[in-house]
Amino acid sequence: MKRHLSTEQLSSYMDGEIGSSHAEQIEEHLGSCPACRTQLESMERLVLKLHRIERPTLPAALAADVRRRIATAPEPRGLRQRLQLLLSDISLRPAFRTSAAMGLAMLFSVFLLSHGLVGSTHHDAAIAEVEPVVSVQTYFGTPPLVLPPTTSEVAGREFVWSENRWIQRGLEGKVPESHVAAKSPEGRAMLSKYSDLEFLIADGTPVVMRYRLATVELYGS
Amino acid sequence: MGVATASAVVQSLDVDVELVERHRCGDAQAFDEVYARFAEMVYNLAFRLSGNYEEAADLTQEVFLRVYRHLGSFGGRSSLKTWVFRIAINHCRDRLSRWRPLTTPIGSDMGEGEVAYPDPARGPEDLAVAADEGRRVTAGLACLPQAFREAVVLRDIEGLSYEEIAEVLGVRIGTVRSRIARGREQLRSLLEI
Repeated sequence: MKRHLSTEQLSSYMDGEIGSSHAEQIEEHLGSCPACRTQLESMERLVLKLHRIERPTLPAALAADVRRRIATAPEPRGLRQRLQLLLSDISLRPAFRTSAAMGLAMLFSVFLLSHGLVGSTHHDAAIAEVEPVVSVQTYFGTPPLVLPPTTSEVAGREFVWSENRWIQRGLEGKVPESHVAAKSPEGRAMLSKYSDLEFLIADGTPVVMRYRLATVELYGS
Repeated sequence: MGVATASAVVQSLDVDVELVERHRCGDAQAFDEVYARFAEMVYNLAFRLSGNYEEAADLTQEVFLRVYRHLGSFGGRSSLKTWVFRIAINHCRDRLSRWRPLTTPIGSDMGEGEVAYPDPARGPEDLAVAADEGRRVTAGLACLPQAFREAVVLRDIEGLSYEEIAEVLGVRIGTVRSRIARGREQLRSLLEI
């Protein structure tokens, strides 16, 4: 090994997170390269400082605060409450907020069209008889959720909450042909293709969906 | 992984599963034990990511509220430790993305002997000792990009293995390796070590 070692090689070697044969090569290089040895020693000094960094003291009152918080926000009991909780968590994501705002705009457009307010003459008589009252509200902050409480639109598909799992619409009652861990290569490929799935599996809830012509259960932690 | 280490991991997973089972059966003490095991780690992580004691306390409360709500659905596919860390990291990211970024420059307008984030639980003598080194390292960490800061904190302060960090962050081990190395390199350069 004639070239200098990379930071990544030195860092992994220092942590012992490197194969034994590779470690031997690195040690051989370190034995003959003062520059890389200096780099390694410098990194070791840094890590020592991080190990020694003062940990903040856990406030003694925090345990009581957590218990109080749990008591004042009781565990959701019904399916509806659980879904609302999950959706409220998802709604914190900027991407979801944008989608929700777009959804609201679309619903409002559908409302206008269905009431003949956009270029329609078909219902003119009815409109003349009953003046529709259109109320436009401007929301500051997170728009209100309008999704049905038992479904979720993710990755362009509709998922239904059933038996503690998110099941793609149409696959209810089907037994998954395979179970894929999110951290496995196949799981990562699924998440890379449908990144929004991470929202559904974030709390450990499995997701059942069609993937490569098969019914697959994807699970997180 | 050696036999002894593997056996310790299995033992730890057994304890995790037993705790969760007790929580499912309504044993209130089970959650208290989970809190006792992980509160300090979560608080420290939240502090390192937010750089603020009050914010860290709020984040810790919210993380444990989530842990309490979802503990019953913990499947035991990972350790409880990485599961809790994952909830904590995700929650911190959500909350802090709506917060100001942490960009305290090293040695900016902090006075001599003053720490970046003074800990109310520590006395003036402790603070003075830790001020010089602790302040610089804390401020340096605050300057790192979030992805690097998370990886370095989990590895060098919380002591997680690369595999555990990959599980917590939901990324490949290669990515963990790279983030830790690049984070350390940037920090080393910032601190001029």
